[in-house]
Amino acid sequence: MKGDFKIALAQIECKRADKTDNIRKIEQTTQHARKQGAELIVFPELSLTGYVVRDEIYELAEPIPGPATEAVEKIAQKTKTYIVFGMPELSEKAQATIHNTAVLVGPEGLIGKYQKMYLPTHSVFEEKRYFRPGYQAAAFDTKLGKIGLIICYDIFFPEVSRLTRLEGAQLIVCISASPAIRRMFFETLTVARALENTAFLAYVNLVGIEDGLQFCGGSKLVGPNGRILAKAKYDKEDMIMGTVNYADIRPVEAFVPTLRDLRPELFDKLKENAEKL
Amino acid sequence: MELTSSALELDWQEAQARIERFIKDYVKKSGAKGIVLGLSGGIDSCTVAALSALAIGGKKVLGLQLPEKETRNATDIKHSIFVAKKFGFKTETIDITPALQAFYKSFSTFDSSDKVCNGNVKARMRMIYIYYHANKLNMLVCGSSDKSETMMGYFTKWGDVAADISPLMDLYKTQVRKLARYIGIPKEIIAKPSTPALWRGQLAEKELGIEYEQLDLILNGLEHFMKTEEIAKQLHVDSALVDKVKRRWLSAEHKRRMLLTAKIEYRTVGMDFRLPRDPF
Repeated sequence: MKGDFKIALAQIECKRADKTDNIRKIEQTTQHARKQGAELIVFPELSLTGYVVRDEIYELAEPIPGPATEAVEKIAQKTKTYIVFGMPELSEKAQATIHNTAVLVGPEGLIGKYQKMYLPTHSVFEEKRYFRPGYQAAAFDTKLGKIGLIICYDIFFPEVSRLTRLEGAQLIVCISASPAIRRMFFETLTVARALENTAFLAYVNLVGIEDGLQFCGGSKLVGPNGRILAKAKYDKEDMIMGTVNYADIRPVEAFVPTLRDLRPELFDKLKENAEKL
Repeated sequence: MELTSSALELDWQEAQARIERFIKDYVKKSGAKGIVLGLSGGIDSCTVAALSALAIGGKKVLGLQLPEKETRNATDIKHSIFVAKKFGFKTETIDITPALQAFYKSFSTFDSSDKVCNGNVKARMRMIYIYYHANKLNMLVCGSSDKSETMMGYFTKWGDVAADISPLMDLYKTQVRKLARYIGIPKEIIAKPSTPALWRGQLAEKELGIEYEQLDLILNGLEHFMKTEEIAKQLHVDSALVDKVKRRWLSAEHKRRMLLTAKIEYRTVGMDFRLPRDPF
């Protein structure tokens, strides 16, 4: 496993419902990032299709593995990179049951996927109308270390990041499609999730306007001490590079020993009280 | 949440940027050649025209002045021309009086004494002229409606609210005033009383029965899920007033959601066909 590597946060605007165009953009961006030395390139939530596709999701969703993941696998193989992107995943066991999924591919092919657990269905969001929630946290072994995946609204629930951390992820990747009105929430939560888990957190948010919703970008790489190591522009396409150096975790983990101080018995109480809410 | 005027403060630079980005993005993606809008000389239309010109360039923005005999106002026309010059967009003036008179005379049951009905005819007549130009010039219609009047249903169905995009619709009137000041709309335009100009002497605040400063705070409270009693308590007003605003807001939803049918089939227009608003 590599102790340090360069990560590219690819904050792109997607063409809605146009998978071919978006895969082309993923390819071009990956090539560009690779030239700058990136070994992991992260794209936003639902970057295969755009976010506001509503009923078109039934046409666009694909199984994993499927044509879209195979296309991105080829990009990863060709460029010798790891890629995280988002897509609507059609369940293999059903015909119209869909997950909001983050996919991790690498030079070795498809590595893993994470199905979003917390689906926002309030305000402008209507994800529960279209998606089935996932039930598993996800952390995958790669040559770049163990990478955990979460998606957007999951970040409001510390247990998701914590679970990926407890699975061994030292880098948590959060792909997102968050509009401007919620920008401050993510500024706070990205830093909090990194610090409380003493892990790197790579947050990559969508940009562009879809049905009046302005996705605001502001992607960033946060270090295990909560320090922002790299930050993308707001409201426009951008790609920024950062370095993940796992050796940075040790001094923070010793100084802020949140993992040492975990109290598992509180989780039982949490479960008990959450059921009574 | 505290209901004071500071609750309606925004970062105006960012608000301006968001609106301009929205206009520019929509015009570009739709493939339209520009924007046409009704230019009354009031704060809303002057502000949205200026923002459109800033977003896509004044050469691609056409402000239509559509005066008619009864409500013609030389000051409004002067204000429109001033703003057009300042922000560099085009204007055209068409007197809609002949068209209105032709309509009035075209059927015997026309009732010239019905102020509201006839006022709505004027708003819809203006809409026809605006959409004609949009059609002819391959432009988009940009509406001027603000959040206060939209929530209150204070507009003519299929009339002044008819538009392809309404960039100010998420800003209350008092917020539009602040944004207008920020982008350099002259204070005479910002300060003059709002009117839909459907009949002579018509004033928005008089008709609504409340000043915008107070109305906007009540609406803002409702927007933030506050209870009627709490809003009344904070603003030191009678809860009956808040309740009246709330009822008017709720009762006007039919004017904001235009398509309704009886649910009969599998998927239905306006109900459970949930499609992206635009294909781009």
